[in-house]
Amino acid sequence: MGDLKSAVILLVEDDPADQKLIKKSMLNQKIDNELIIVETGEDALEYLAHNKSNEAGYHTPDLILLDLNMPGMGSREFLRRLKADDELDTIPVVILTTSDSEQDMLATYKLQAAGYIKKPLTLNGFRKVFSQLQEYWFVICKRVPREQLSCTAN
Amino acid sequence: MDALKTTVVLLVEDDAGDQKLVKKALANREMVNKLYVVASAEEALEYLQRSKCGDVKSPRPNLILLDLNMPGMGGKEFLRRIKADDDLCSIPAVVLTVSDAEIDIYETYKLKAAGYVQKRVSSKEFQKVVGELAKYWFETSLLVKS
Repeated sequence: MGDLKSAVILLVEDDPADQKLIKKSMLNQKIDNELIIVETGEDALEYLAHNKSNEAGYHTPDLILLDLNMPGMGSREFLRRLKADDELDTIPVVILTTSDSEQDMLATYKLQAAGYIKKPLTLNGFRKVFSQLQEYWFVICKRVPREQLSCTAN
Repeated sequence: MDALKTTVVLLVEDDAGDQKLVKKALANREMVNKLYVVASAEEALEYLQRSKCGDVKSPRPNLILLDLNMPGMGGKEFLRRIKADDDLCSIPAVVLTVSDAEIDIYETYKLKAAGYVQKRVSSKEFQKVVGELAKYWFETSLLVKS
């Protein structure tokens, strides 16, 4: 199966309770994950910009988990900008949301989200989701080679 | 978790053996109701055109599984074309290929593939992997209804 080297996940989520649940659900999973949490689309872009310039302490995410309902920029705009960026557009983005609206789903899939997950209500529910996310993105799927993600813009 | 009641998968795969393996792996997943198989990217585009016109024999897929190395057009060009189509671009397309070349992985994610799965040598492993893929897309994820 795929390589089990540790994975970096960028979580874009403003709700502290959900942040806590997600952190807990990542413990004792098959693969060590480094979870980076930011609370807005703007913070996420800033984090990714630091990483583009290869600053120490910033790790290119292998996966971005994106809440839909956030203040400020908004998730759709964040997704649009990410997918329009020549260096960042290969990072898969999975939506994590309370919304099961077809309209939201269609809009985010059009913006090239690579999954749309309704937030579970319990810790066990989150654990199952994260186990599945890991299995798909880090075990059975090949990851974008990091060297490709970390090219500096000249 | 809510799952689709009816789901349609379009498999774009020229190898008869691999077609059979995917069919077998998905047959056990009760949430996958319909698997449509085409043997080339050109046929896949024709299928999708028909689905756009509401052809009941060519229902719009909720997910596309795509081989990269096919005679004629090839998987990457197919991906490029569907992602440039305002209607079809919302259908997630997962690449299923023998290649583990970094350039292939990079280029297909660049073309907005929603996953890159390397085919396994052993059929048992292959089926397991396709099963996990189906779990992610049909149990964990929500997909736009056809």
